[in-house]
Amino acid sequence: MANILLTTRCNRSCPYCFAEREMAGSDVDSLMSWENLIYIADFLLMSGQRRVSLLGGEPTIHPECVDYILYLLERGFDVTVFTNGMLGKSRREEFRRHLTGISRERLTFVCNLNDPLQTPAPHTERERIEEFLSLMGPWVSPGFNIYRPDFTLDFLFDAINRFGLKRHLRLGITHPIPGKGNGFIRPAEMRQVVERLYSYREIFEATRVSPGLDCGFPMCKFTDEELGWLNRFRGSPHFRCGAAVDITPDMSVYHCFPLSDYQRRSLFEFDSLLEIEEHFRQLRQQIRVEIAGIFEECDGCRQREDDVCSGGGVCQLLNRFVDEAPVRIPEIEHEIAKNRHPL
Amino acid sequence: MKLPKIVIPYNKTLLRSMSGQIVAVRVKSIPQAAEAAAHVRDSGNALFCVIVEANSPLAELALHDGIKDIPLAIMAPAMGKFRRVTAILPVLRGGNIRIYLPCDRPDNITSLRLLSSLGIHCCALFAPGETNWEELADLMTYAVLERAPHAPIEPFEFIASSYEPSSYLDWGRIFFDDPRHFLHLDARGRVALSRREASMGDFIAAGIAEIAAADEFPAISERINSWRYRLAENHPCAFCAGWKICLGRFAPEAGEDGGCAGFFQEMLDVARQRGAQRAGGEELRVWQP
Repeated sequence: MANILLTTRCNRSCPYCFAEREMAGSDVDSLMSWENLIYIADFLLMSGQRRVSLLGGEPTIHPECVDYILYLLERGFDVTVFTNGMLGKSRREEFRRHLTGISRERLTFVCNLNDPLQTPAPHTERERIEEFLSLMGPWVSPGFNIYRPDFTLDFLFDAINRFGLKRHLRLGITHPIPGKGNGFIRPAEMRQVVERLYSYREIFEATRVSPGLDCGFPMCKFTDEELGWLNRFRGSPHFRCGAAVDITPDMSVYHCFPLSDYQRRSLFEFDSLLEIEEHFRQLRQQIRVEIAGIFEECDGCRQREDDVCSGGGVCQLLNRFVDEAPVRIPEIEHEIAKNRHPL
Repeated sequence: MKLPKIVIPYNKTLLRSMSGQIVAVRVKSIPQAAEAAAHVRDSGNALFCVIVEANSPLAELALHDGIKDIPLAIMAPAMGKFRRVTAILPVLRGGNIRIYLPCDRPDNITSLRLLSSLGIHCCALFAPGETNWEELADLMTYAVLERAPHAPIEPFEFIASSYEPSSYLDWGRIFFDDPRHFLHLDARGRVALSRREASMGDFIAAGIAEIAAADEFPAISERINSWRYRLAENHPCAFCAGWKICLGRFAPEAGEDGGCAGFFQEMLDVARQRGAQRAGGEELRVWQP
């Protein structure tokens, strides 16, 4: 599935933001145009895609966000919008008038929520988010980015019950932007994260909420019991790193936010999504020639060789290169060198 | 040549005065369209279509299921907010409708592409002197060569599908502007060669009865063959590579910035590509054996 970035602006500042480099490096007024959106819709349809995600920045900032959602639905796509839920009153009213009649099977909002205690936000922010959840709750899947090992999930179960959200919790671990030094989960902290997640097992069961793991979790950090539990939910977990395929307002395409600097291309260079995925598969392969995974044990690991697990995300591997030995592939080395900390 | 279709303003008296004609009626609003269609059918004439010359954007028009069976040519100044268009999309898709938007505004060129991508047959209305030929060329390429499913955008689709390398092509009929196919009457029944001439009071006959056979009527045959004068005048258009599908339609603009020339040359190329695709293979290029 491809992600369309409607804008590179955001109205929030999360401590773990791994889109920060992309946001900072782009034109703040950069907005996805109708011409480009129609081109992308044609491109994806011709690639056999029927699902699309809208991202930002904060996609709901785009003045024509509602129209874009309606257009993509009319083109036959199922649409997922990744939002922080901080919508102003007039935008909420637009959502109420035009989106609350859409089937919940076809339109989903993944609302990234932060722990109010660990990541406190101003009262007005919290208020706006709650008003959004009150309005669009049945269309919303909560999302949570784990950026410290002592995270809590209680507030999310509370939100699911209070606002009638979809009973699926999307969990991501925050990724390093190679060379950026942002807050992220280190390989050594992975087991602690998994244990913490598993400690919520009874609440997941009692509230009938299913956990969904985003990319970057290494399989070996789960016990067989933990894997068995995860496999009991619809859409069993995967541990592979793949291209998110992010398309920016200026029609650049890159692997994912943390790798937005790496082998970035123009969408116009490709004829199908398959070609783009192949381009980024080669990128991952080039990097994996250098290093098998984020742990020493990844080298020679059967699950790694069978491609059941990627041994962590490519961005985590590249982050090691930035501070460690240079790699052999000149093009990647050149891009890494730009991110290396000056001595 | 049989008598062309008649384009008239919606006027019951005028309709009653004719019979056996194929008629296109001009109205100002959608509610008038259903009424006009019924009156044409009751008058003993055949309805070709109802032309809605709306003053408000497409999104603001009160389209409803009741007009589904009426052939409609809706000429609107703009599309309007997409969110409001979604409410009338089922009618636009299910009806016998073609949307005309003037392409002197960049947002209308985008709207034409958008409507086409949603399966709505539409048409670019050229605005002399105001046309952005480069943007129009992008739209034309999309209309003819884009492989993703979309509805036709006229006149590009008509040109691409009707183009014959060995003959000239006049596509004015798409805009009801070709006396071979359409004559325009005013409320008093006077006949003009085009909508513009009818509104300017430039008439060729006091009534349609004066015209027994169109190709024998001097004013009509002169207009049909008027493009030949460009050749006699050594007009720059006559030397343009796009001449065969333009026939000097934009002669007043030609030579100023050459925009129309570039566009029609590209249109010709695209039409050839379409022809080659229809023939079952890609067009053979000069570097191919």
